[in-house]
Amino acid sequence: MRFRLPKLLLGGYGLLVVGLPLAGLAYALLGSVGLAGPLAAGFTGRYWLALGHDPGLLYAALYSAGVALVAVGLSTGLALALVLGAQAALRRGPLLGLLYVPLLMPALVLAFYLFQLLSRSGWLSRLSYQAGLTSRLEAFPELVQDAAGVGIVLAHVLLTFPFLALLFQAIYQESRLDDYYQLTRTLGASAGQFRRRVALPLLLRRAAPTLLLSTVATLGAYDIPLLLGRPYPQMLSVYLTTRLQRFDLRELPAAYLAGFVVAGGLLVLLVPALRYTRRHAL
Amino acid sequence: MKKLVLSFLGLLGLLSGCGTDQPRTPQQVLGQSWAQVEQAGQGQPVTMVMWQGDPLINQYMNTYVKPEVQRRYGIDLQLVAGQGAGLVQTLAAEQQAGQPSEADMVWINGETFYQLRQVDALLGPFVEKLPNARLLDLQNPFINTDFQQPIAGMECPWGNVQFNFIYDSARVARPPRSFAELPAYLQAHPGQFTIPNEFTGMTLLKSWMMALSGNPALFRGKFDEAVYKQWSDELWRVINASKPYFWKQGQTFPEQLAPLHQLFANGEVAFTFSNNDAEVDNKVNQKVFPATARAYVPLPGTIQNSHYLGVVRGARHPEAALLVINFLISPEAQLKKMDPNVWGDHTVLNLVALPAAQRQQFERLPSRRYAPRRAALQGLALPEPDPEYMTRLFKDFRTYVIEGHAVPAS
Amino acid sequence: MRSKLLVGTLAVLFGLPFLLLALLAVGEGWRFPAALPPAFSLAAVRSLLGSGNDLLAGLGRSLLLAGTVAVVATAGGFGLARAIARSAWARHWEVASYLPYALPPVLLAVLIQPFIIRLHLSGSVGGVLLGLLLVALPFATLLLRSFWTQQATEYEQLARTLGCTPGQALRQVLLPLAWPLLRTALFQTFLLAWFDFGLTNVLSVGKVRTLTVQVFAYVGEANAPLAAVASLLLLLPPALLLRLNRAALLRNTP
Repeated sequence: MRFRLPKLLLGGYGLLVVGLPLAGLAYALLGSVGLAGPLAAGFTGRYWLALGHDPGLLYAALYSAGVALVAVGLSTGLALALVLGAQAALRRGPLLGLLYVPLLMPALVLAFYLFQLLSRSGWLSRLSYQAGLTSRLEAFPELVQDAAGVGIVLAHVLLTFPFLALLFQAIYQESRLDDYYQLTRTLGASAGQFRRRVALPLLLRRAAPTLLLSTVATLGAYDIPLLLGRPYPQMLSVYLTTRLQRFDLRELPAAYLAGFVVAGGLLVLLVPALRYTRRHAL
Repeated sequence: MKKLVLSFLGLLGLLSGCGTDQPRTPQQVLGQSWAQVEQAGQGQPVTMVMWQGDPLINQYMNTYVKPEVQRRYGIDLQLVAGQGAGLVQTLAAEQQAGQPSEADMVWINGETFYQLRQVDALLGPFVEKLPNARLLDLQNPFINTDFQQPIAGMECPWGNVQFNFIYDSARVARPPRSFAELPAYLQAHPGQFTIPNEFTGMTLLKSWMMALSGNPALFRGKFDEAVYKQWSDELWRVINASKPYFWKQGQTFPEQLAPLHQLFANGEVAFTFSNNDAEVDNKVNQKVFPATARAYVPLPGTIQNSHYLGVVRGARHPEAALLVINFLISPEAQLKKMDPNVWGDHTVLNLVALPAAQRQQFERLPSRRYAPRRAALQGLALPEPDPEYMTRLFKDFRTYVIEGHAVPAS
Repeated sequence: MRSKLLVGTLAVLFGLPFLLLALLAVGEGWRFPAALPPAFSLAAVRSLLGSGNDLLAGLGRSLLLAGTVAVVATAGGFGLARAIARSAWARHWEVASYLPYALPPVLLAVLIQPFIIRLHLSGSVGGVLLGLLLVALPFATLLLRSFWTQQATEYEQLARTLGCTPGQALRQVLLPLAWPLLRTALFQTFLLAWFDFGLTNVLSVGKVRTLTVQVFAYVGEANAPLAAVASLLLLLPPALLLRLNRAALLRNTP
């Protein structure tokens, strides 16, 4: 019995965490060749063949990748600037505590709030109208549901940058970077040299797995682009659910196919990357 | 390993905690007398899947229908959000898995009805079973036919509406009276108009396409690829030519109707639309729209259609669902629903068949103040074409207008 | 000076949501271009207490769901992490635990939905629970994996040598040692479930109306006051957790 229990536990875990998603992937694959799903009518390769003619999926993937890289890049930059530039303030006073506030916010709530704040009929636009800065609603710049995804990026930066700042700060203290700072200063290096040559690489290397996971999370974000994005271009998660909910059931195999390709692609790309960053982060 | 699988499934079974009630055949359910149906349906829960995008409709269901069916039959009515392809997929998957459905009744029409019948997910024919069915106006082709498909007792009419334009008379002195005038109007008044990328917008596109053809009769009967190709190409040509004069230069379109209403309320656009000809009244009464909002039907007319209630084939509580549907088509519930302050959904009852006192109640309802009179609309009503037209328009609107790909030459 | 400016900016940036949401919750007929609501009404807030309203029930559902996910995932993760630590395939199990992260939650939900339906779990709390655990359990496992070091094993063996039963060793030695990490796992998995919208929305088929699902529904019908009230309710428990224990909110990824 003592030997059976952990095995049983791990077996169940494997079924849940590996078995269920892989079964889903297999089902999507069967759906994409017409062997599963509500209107399955036997094997066909035409949805796979049509994949080449439909740039929608590729476009959604590229758009998502762009948004994710920009959002996580900006957040990392801001967080590093804060941790390396305002170290003294972070150690004393309310700054550190403030950074926890955005962690309270569900993405959906943040998106709703930003829409109410930044849309053309939103609060900022009203204030600027009352202040005489804009004379018409249309004069206010398009900040949400815009073509470039400014609203989506902004929402993700608001959520990600405080989190990364807290993470960097924790690493900074755990790694006793302050001691190193004193040491490098005694050895004659400037503060700037310490930041660039010592602190920056260390913070980035140790945070690499988290940065990677944050990028993946942003890549697959749903709530924020759903409220702050446009019908076109769409981010991946929104694109996939929209395809699955089209009026035409005959479109389902193509939607299954898109789901399979995205899931397969992400797994092939990410699992090795994750192994690599984790090995080198320690 | 096998043991593991079994124990895992056992665990899941515990989680679900559901019984193993076998669904009965439709014949067994429908073979009962109404008295038996009433007996069996008493005190059961009913799950109804419906579009929940309108606060007034939700309110009608929550504050009137729910307590009424509770009071009359002890039925606990649960409303859940769902429509279109998502609904069809869920019901079809349940059907495939051979298990009872999570849903008992559904609010549907058009292509959802068509697809649900394709996957055989509806119970019926049941309409004749309902005692109140004799009051229905089933001779009316706008009621007995749903997107060119005879309802054949498989879904019960619930309400009847006509697509209309809503505009702000404070901002728009002379709205375009016809679809033909629309492009010139848009060019002269840029930024005021957009098309919602959902049901109501698709009804707009269908009406516009039929207007362009000059002959709505072309769209009768089964889907015709040649007719579609010719007139949808024309539609995309006209829309794309006007696109720069749309809201946000036509670079984006609202995905839902409520946000478009919101844009209209805030004065960001001067037009919105409704599939319900009385909606302008209820929105003005709620102070959602400015009091200067008016509705009209552009020439040569717009689509009039009905919406329906269906019973799910695998329903756990089909009898209770029948009781709820019978209540929803009762003169009482229909009258309440038709009040522009409540919902403003036109009745599907044949008023002539009602006792004089009840008929008068319908005639004496607070009249529409901002919408055109019903009688004035009847001459401007176009029947819904085959569901395939809508499915194709939805797909092609995205491809050729939203995404802006070139329309291939035929 | 500079640090004061920084603090001020961040305070405004992070405080503004609460102000605007509160205004939206009590504003009536508030439209462009009014800078403040023309009238105030407690109707939306009061509707919380109304019998027909779903918001309080949603709050209860969300709490129950997130609480269950937190307890099950943390307890399960603790046991699983130990089993993994002693397994010959530890590395493989760890990599496998990352699988649910590599996929967007909504995609994960869409992929497993056919099976959820076949397991009779579609549209039920059980189905949503299973979907959330699919993400929360590996999260907790990976987080707690760092507890089961050589040292923890040695402590456990020492306790056993000194005459503890396995239960005593767990209660009196291992749990106290692991408590800080366990608390973090509890908080984090709670928030993971609490914040989720996409996965819940897909798996619940609209039936399990948690608070996030309701926020989205109210946004969909352009009902800003109720969406704002629901949003404020969503902010409450995490704010409470923040007061209870700040540090436990941080470790977002193991």
